[in-house]
Amino acid sequence: MDSNKKYWKGLEELNQTPAFVEKSKGEFAESVPVEDVLNEAGLSTRTPRRDFLKALGFGLGAVTLAACNRTPVHKAMPYVIKPEEITPGIPNFYASSFKGQSILVRTREGRPISVEPNPNSVGLNQGIDAVAVTSVLDLYDMSKLQNPQIGGKDVQWSKLDNTVIGALDKAAAAGKQITIVSTTVNSPSTLASIARFAAKYPATNHVQVDPISYSGLIEANKNSFGKAVVPTYNFENAQVVVSVAADFLGSWLEGEEQTQDYTKNRDYKSLKGGKMSRHIQFESGLSLTGANADVRIAIRPSEEGAVLISLYNAITGQSIAGGTINAKAKTAIALVAKELVNAKGAAVVVAGANDVYIQSLVNAINTQLGAYGAIIDLDNYSKQYQGSDVAFQKFLTDAKAGQVGVAFFLNSNPAYNYFKAEDVKAAIAKIDFTVSLSDRDDETAILTKAIAPVPTYLESWGDGSSKEGLVTIVQPTINPVFDTRQPEKSFLVWSGDSATDIYDFVKENWEANILAGTGKTWKDVLQTGYIYKGSNTGSAYSANVDVNAVAAAIVNDAKKVTADVELKLYESTVMRDGRYANNAYLQELPDPVSKVTWDNYAAINPIFAEQLGLGENSKVKIEANGYAIELPVLLQPGQTMGTVSVALGYGRTNVGKAGNNVGQNAYPFLTLVNGTLQFASKATVSKLSETYELAQTQTHNTIEGRNIIRETTFAKYLKDPNSESGRFADSHKTYDLWNKFDQPGHKWVMAIDLNACTGCGSCIVACNVENNIPVVGRDEVRRRREMHWLRIDRYYTIIEDGKDYTKEKEIKHLKDFEDVTVVNQPMLCQHCDHAPCETVCPVLATVHSSEGLNHMAYNRCFGTRYCANNCPYKVRRFNWFNYWNDSRFDNYLNNEFTHLLLNPDVTSRSRGVMEKCSMCIQRIQAGKLKAKMEDRKLKDGDVQMACQAACSANAIIFGDANDPESEVSKAIRNERVYYVLEEINVQPNIGYMTKVRNTFEA
Amino acid sequence: MRNISSVLGRLAKSISISLVLLFAVTMTSNAQDAKEGAALFKSNCSSCHKIDKKMTGPALAGMSERHSEEWLVKWIKNSGALIAAGDETAIRVFEEYNKVAMPAFTQFSDDQIKSIITYVKDEEAKAAAAPAAGAAGGAEKSEANSFMIIGMAAILILAIGVIFILSRITKTLEKVIANNQAAIDAAQVRNEAYEESGKVKFAQKFLKNKKLVGFTALMVVAFLAVLGWNTMWHVGVHQGYQPVQPIKFSHQVHAGVNQIECQYCHGGAFKSKNASIPSANVCMNCHNTITASDHYDGETSPELLKLYRAVDWDPDTRTYGDNQRPIQWIRIHNLPDFAYFNHSQHVSVSGIECQTCHGPVETMEEVYQYSPLTMKWCIECHQTREVNTDNKYYDKLIEAHEKLKKGEKLTAAMIGGLECGKCHY
Repeated sequence: MDSNKKYWKGLEELNQTPAFVEKSKGEFAESVPVEDVLNEAGLSTRTPRRDFLKALGFGLGAVTLAACNRTPVHKAMPYVIKPEEITPGIPNFYASSFKGQSILVRTREGRPISVEPNPNSVGLNQGIDAVAVTSVLDLYDMSKLQNPQIGGKDVQWSKLDNTVIGALDKAAAAGKQITIVSTTVNSPSTLASIARFAAKYPATNHVQVDPISYSGLIEANKNSFGKAVVPTYNFENAQVVVSVAADFLGSWLEGEEQTQDYTKNRDYKSLKGGKMSRHIQFESGLSLTGANADVRIAIRPSEEGAVLISLYNAITGQSIAGGTINAKAKTAIALVAKELVNAKGAAVVVAGANDVYIQSLVNAINTQLGAYGAIIDLDNYSKQYQGSDVAFQKFLTDAKAGQVGVAFFLNSNPAYNYFKAEDVKAAIAKIDFTVSLSDRDDETAILTKAIAPVPTYLESWGDGSSKEGLVTIVQPTINPVFDTRQPEKSFLVWSGDSATDIYDFVKENWEANILAGTGKTWKDVLQTGYIYKGSNTGSAYSANVDVNAVAAAIVNDAKKVTADVELKLYESTVMRDGRYANNAYLQELPDPVSKVTWDNYAAINPIFAEQLGLGENSKVKIEANGYAIELPVLLQPGQTMGTVSVALGYGRTNVGKAGNNVGQNAYPFLTLVNGTLQFASKATVSKLSETYELAQTQTHNTIEGRNIIRETTFAKYLKDPNSESGRFADSHKTYDLWNKFDQPGHKWVMAIDLNACTGCGSCIVACNVENNIPVVGRDEVRRRREMHWLRIDRYYTIIEDGKDYTKEKEIKHLKDFEDVTVVNQPMLCQHCDHAPCETVCPVLATVHSSEGLNHMAYNRCFGTRYCANNCPYKVRRFNWFNYWNDSRFDNYLNNEFTHLLLNPDVTSRSRGVMEKCSMCIQRIQAGKLKAKMEDRKLKDGDVQMACQAACSANAIIFGDANDPESEVSKAIRNERVYYVLEEINVQPNIGYMTKVRNTFEA
Repeated sequence: MRNISSVLGRLAKSISISLVLLFAVTMTSNAQDAKEGAALFKSNCSSCHKIDKKMTGPALAGMSERHSEEWLVKWIKNSGALIAAGDETAIRVFEEYNKVAMPAFTQFSDDQIKSIITYVKDEEAKAAAAPAAGAAGGAEKSEANSFMIIGMAAILILAIGVIFILSRITKTLEKVIANNQAAIDAAQVRNEAYEESGKVKFAQKFLKNKKLVGFTALMVVAFLAVLGWNTMWHVGVHQGYQPVQPIKFSHQVHAGVNQIECQYCHGGAFKSKNASIPSANVCMNCHNTITASDHYDGETSPELLKLYRAVDWDPDTRTYGDNQRPIQWIRIHNLPDFAYFNHSQHVSVSGIECQTCHGPVETMEEVYQYSPLTMKWCIECHQTREVNTDNKYYDKLIEAHEKLKKGEKLTAAMIGGLECGKCHY
């Protein structure tokens, strides 16, 4: 059974542009100069005999000389005194936490090499986000500061301390303010050290400001409930989710934890039980969340408030003025409101706007829906974002008035990410003494008088508290590599206490304030990594909102944004607020939707772009609020007509080798309205004459119209679970050229749930870190040479007027490109039992194992690339260079220090060698060995893939198909399972489960 | 010449030592006592005491002068009781040696203790005699030097005489040749003519026989090819590699003579991928007392001094400093990075003896690479080695195997031991 939908990877494929057709014809992406050599001129080129002999002689001599190396002498240096817990060759795991998530850090011989979620933790325990996965690379970042500095010169800590204390005493004597500017601090020990500091200097003022501000939400909750907090959202209790421009699976609040909860209602287990939530998204740019929605309606940024007013009207039956005029949205809202009301108690509305009025209106709607308690928890509230835009404003004003004596910038970089960087610069200039507590000389640090460099969390003692009641420990996994000092220790020293060791300080703080009354000891916490004192569910709240006044304010504010071209700024799922911009793994992780790497861009609807005279590779100048940047254009299907979306977090200038000058800084576009930062504004877009090619991974292959995505609706699924799975074997008899051979031991297979996969990309970076996969850089990505073993293919289809478009001709007549739906398909080596790559390898470098794996012997491969050419899934990657040791790829790995990140159990491949997903064979072998050492059979779950461990949506299930009770055996027997390109009978070992969309039935 | 002097020196030394010994033996009231004492000392005291050096406990030389025999007997029997009783001397000694209590030896009779004291006294006397002998040797040395000058002069005269005689002989022989020159020339000419004709004939014959030429050429080519092939085959194979290590560590002494289990030092081999070279603190478990001084005239072995330098251990004060430097051993067994090898799989799971791959290490004074460590060598073993069927992990595979090939042995190769991904990833 063939699906009648047409799926396409990119617009080139959809439009069948001549360049695309030409490219897809050839065997290789770049033309091979065969004709140049074999034409008449080429063949008649004469090489004189003497030249030939000279070249031959030189070549032979050079090769001989080059081969005349002495055999290197390898040294083996054992420890002088071996730490008891270390056995060389065996990893140690330490419970720690990153941004409040409890994690396990894997170390080998005392160096951290990867991060995994803590499966026993509370909250996010199933997966981990891309930033956390790649955070190990930050430890080995050579762009960090190695010594404390005063005025740009390296100094001793003692000198820095004396200078700082001198400045503090001076400020205290002069009665000036002492301000600590930081991003949100939820760590109890950091707060305790700041409190100690404040006790010594009572003029201390702690200002928290987040680059991506949620102060509108906090303010609204303060007004509605008297609780100035960001609540936690428990999406697992929501059967109907309506989001108005909130990217809650990506960057909005706790995207990863929300993904974990959200997919619990949508994955194969939930579907097996006949349950699936419904998710409706209203937004302007196509976000990760919008791509996963069952129904997505494109709106303008200025319409966000209007949509919510209409929704409120539809739910309550009131008729408050200011509702939406968007026709598509209107019909949707009527349906959505009905859904929401029917699901009262299990329905929730979220909005992304950082606006007090919009959030107040949302609070009113959620009160109507009874969402407070089970879904929105105001008691076990989130502590991740406590920044206040107003407080920072006040700091700037005070500083400019010369009232601030000393300012500390703790992990805070307002000179880059505050919308008025000049104000920050002017303020810093007026402060008597400024100190940056940052790990590098970033945009703010270069303005300050002194820098007290801080170590990464992997080198520190500390803690975090992502939500009320949950406190997680941070324990070091390596000694501080550079001459850095934890900010907590610095504050202690500056408050006159240089004797207290940071370990003792953290421990004592825990024992006195956190562990008291729990019956747990410090050692327990070091083992479990966290302590949870929260209650199970929050209690119900009722919002106290004057809806009429709020609606009027919304309508009024919307006018400021309404324009022909509206600009929407968003936090990118990958780059986030730009703090980790020097992380090459993150830079090369394709954006989940656009698949662009190493850049931000102006996302514009293809039809709208056509109207503006823009096309592929165009560049535009965007002007708004007196600021302008030039950006390449990305034709983004699904983008609302008349809008432009630009990602924040790019355009860093002082972050390091990898991240400097990547993309353009969009923070200056932000505006301050009603005391909160706004992420949308009026803009003008003008075409530039230059062109710019974005490094996109999506268009690198073509699917040639093959039916590789299977999609059904929830209603159809309920009638027939097999719906649209279209298994070839069900309807065809297959014949085999090869003899079947037994796999009596294990048979490793994987099941991937397309309905659970959100496309976030954690798995890709987890795979990178685990398997020493190199980062190749922007230029090489343009040449289709990215090395990711696992990619996530994103397919678009168009639905307009309730009808699927199936032919190119019909698509051309579309009036807009707003209604696209998206399917994400993680694509990796399928470990085919009849692998086409194996039969074409001339040197048998890739062969099959008795456990169903397609092995790749790198040392045997000599790089013909026949296998890649013959692979139907295009998952093989070729090493064009020695990426880890070549000055042209100076992204991160070209130094001995960063080499320490490499996983010692995986070969780092050399130039000229093919590579691909090995199914984490090192993990399989380690799991088997563990079972053998313990003299037992292998249990299900003993072996976990790196991608699987990182997936918070539980979309990847791996295991032994020969064990009928294993999780994967059950999953692979699911009715929804189909195999990609099953009809060519390569017998892949990775089963995909159909995408199910819970759409409204007409 | 130096040899002669040292030989003489040694001779003098040994004579004086034997004289002293004779003297000592005759002086000793009861030789039997000292013998028993020696045995007891070695088995009970020597781990903490030396005659002339501080170890955990004091140097014993002169203890009889320092303390009365009666006190010594009490102390050795139960030093703790003596301290507890408030004996001043006992407390002083106890405190001087960092309050490390000497174990009580209540099992000794008074006579046994006295025999130990006698033994200590004898040893003391021997030690005192040795420097005297050394001084005697020194006196000999200056005499030897004058003797050396006389000897050299004699040899010089002898050499001049020999040269004179030889030159006379040469002259005589030259005269004889001159007399017979004509006869010799004639004979030479005849000889050359004969040889020339023979050579040419043979070469001509050979060249005419095309088959023979071809065959010879083929043989040469084949020989060179085989030579080349064999050479290439051994590129990168370092069987027999025996580098000089920074410390002359002898496995023969440790694993052979002293029968120390491999696992004691290379514990990693049983639980990890790496067998791991022991850290220096493992060496110090024994070598903080064992100094091998009996092989180095009472001095600490110079090789152990290197170890002490690495861990920054001061044998006199018996304390560690903080200037520690790792020992830079030369790695002998170098597998290429693309080959994954795990010791624990082979040692703990399959139960393979260390010697199977590493050879008779317990007889090696210096370790060398015993096996070629080539892939062929790995494969050959995997093809024949039986799987350890006792391990429950293999139950399912064995069951499957039994269905197919009843009674035949199950080798590593049959369960995927030859697959690329077993070692290369």
